Amino acid sequence: MEILFTGILLTAGLLVGTLGSRYLRVPRVVGYILLGMLFAPNLLGGWLGITDTEWTQPLVSAALGVIAYVIGGAISFAQLRRLGCSIVGATLGEVSGAFLAVLAAVLLLGITVADIPLWSFALVLAAVAPATAPAAIVAVVHQYRASGLLTTTLLGMVAIDDALGIFIFALVMAVVGSGTLESALGTVIWEIGVALLVGGAGGYLVERLSRLSHEQSLLLPLLLGAILLMVGMAERAGFSALLAAMVMGFTVRWFCGPQAERLFQPVEDLEETVFVLFFTFAGLHFNPEAIAAYWPLMLVYFFARAVGLFIGGGSGARLAGAPRSVWSNVGFGLFPQGGVAIGLALLLLHQPGFEQAGEVIVTLIATTTLFTEAVGAISVRYGLRRAGELGVEQAGGEAE
Amino acid sequence: MRISDWLERYPVRGVTIARDASLEEAARAMLASPECRDVYVTDDEQRVIGHLGFRRLAGVLLASHRPTQSRRQMLDRVARGPVHEFMDRRFVAAHREDSIHQVLHRHMERRVEDIPVVDDDQRLLGVIRLRDLVEVSLAE
Repeated sequence: MEILFTGILLTAGLLVGTLGSRYLRVPRVVGYILLGMLFAPNLLGGWLGITDTEWTQPLVSAALGVIAYVIGGAISFAQLRRLGCSIVGATLGEVSGAFLAVLAAVLLLGITVADIPLWSFALVLAAVAPATAPAAIVAVVHQYRASGLLTTTLLGMVAIDDALGIFIFALVMAVVGSGTLESALGTVIWEIGVALLVGGAGGYLVERLSRLSHEQSLLLPLLLGAILLMVGMAERAGFSALLAAMVMGFTVRWFCGPQAERLFQPVEDLEETVFVLFFTFAGLHFNPEAIAAYWPLMLVYFFARAVGLFIGGGSGARLAGAPRSVWSNVGFGLFPQGGVAIGLALLLLHQPGFEQAGEVIVTLIATTTLFTEAVGAISVRYGLRRAGELGVEQAGGEAE
Repeated sequence: MRISDWLERYPVRGVTIARDASLEEAARAMLASPECRDVYVTDDEQRVIGHLGFRRLAGVLLASHRPTQSRRQMLDRVARGPVHEFMDRRFVAAHREDSIHQVLHRHMERRVEDIPVVDDDQRLLGVIRLRDLVEVSLAE
């Protein structure tokens, strides 16, 4: 029954999302989430015999492994050097700004869920905050033919910030999972250290194995098998699956050297499928009552994240020597949040002790994602216009 | 048919480019030889060290026209390196004494258009074009 249900979610979600985008001009994720809500266990899902959502856990873990591998393989050392100080500085500022601002705001607000300690809840919510949605930013850049220093900076930042976000998330989960501060150090060393080692070794092996095959069609099973193996081993041995898969992607790229495309393209093609799954699953868990009960938390998360991204990204860029047109506008381009944040939130549902808090966080992230998708595009366009980088407007033309 | 016989009958020289050249230079070299679909990257000794297909080259040079991009493609766009960072160093090459039958399957699995022919020192001797092979096959 779960296979049938997943098929329905994928096809119907894609259909509703695409129709909504084409005829109502709303982001596709709105359709995905609404479709998921419609098929929740207390609505159509129950009618189809789906009484719970436990079965989504292995799918979410495996799918996040795929996304983490793709994120890890996005960059090489040579590219990191070429990106320059201003992009790297702005990214460090953006990620730490969003994390610290949300952490401080939630601690000040003092709201938590169930019996989760406030500091744990605030840390987890802050760890989801740095994730951005590159697709939304690329879409605006493409639509308005934007080009220039700010455009380049934004594209570079959103391509690498999720890697830092995943590292922070893994670190926070290790700390929160350890229970007490005394045992945190040992847990962190195990969860992070072993993930780095196993992920690195896995990446080396995958790259070596890929050399045995000149046939492109054999690479996808090799890559998917390695990602599932990594996630499975991590769950069994208790180290961070996300970090291990990400490090595996980075190491594959490192050892592969030039033309790593053949070891990433097949997996990258799965990204949209994964995001449809994430958003429809988020719809399954969407709880309107949580919005009524936790709306102050949602507002605080939304605004604190925006302020953190703006001040952190701008300060980082300025300290790293970026010109005024970049540091004063870069914050406008970072608001969109999407699939990665939803995936991280879904992962929380299955963390011991976080079942109820996970439901609230999934609802919170799904709600704010809808806002950031809508407001984010306007904000990106505003920042690019202030920097004078909107090609279509400057030429007096019309956007497509 | 042996590769050496084929090269005598259908001589195509192929396009090479130095490893530190830019993608724009590679594109210009390729456009100057419209009969070729691929460029071969060479080291200082003129040995072939990698392959770059036209689609891959065009994909990076025209990246700003694409409405969706993976993170990897975004970084290729904003932190673009020289041609050797985009080449495939595990390309399939043929030698003069091979038969076409031997290399064709392996080559087609890689979804590239031309088969490079190299000598024992990995220097490019010529290129076998897929379109010539199809043309001969139709004529048979």
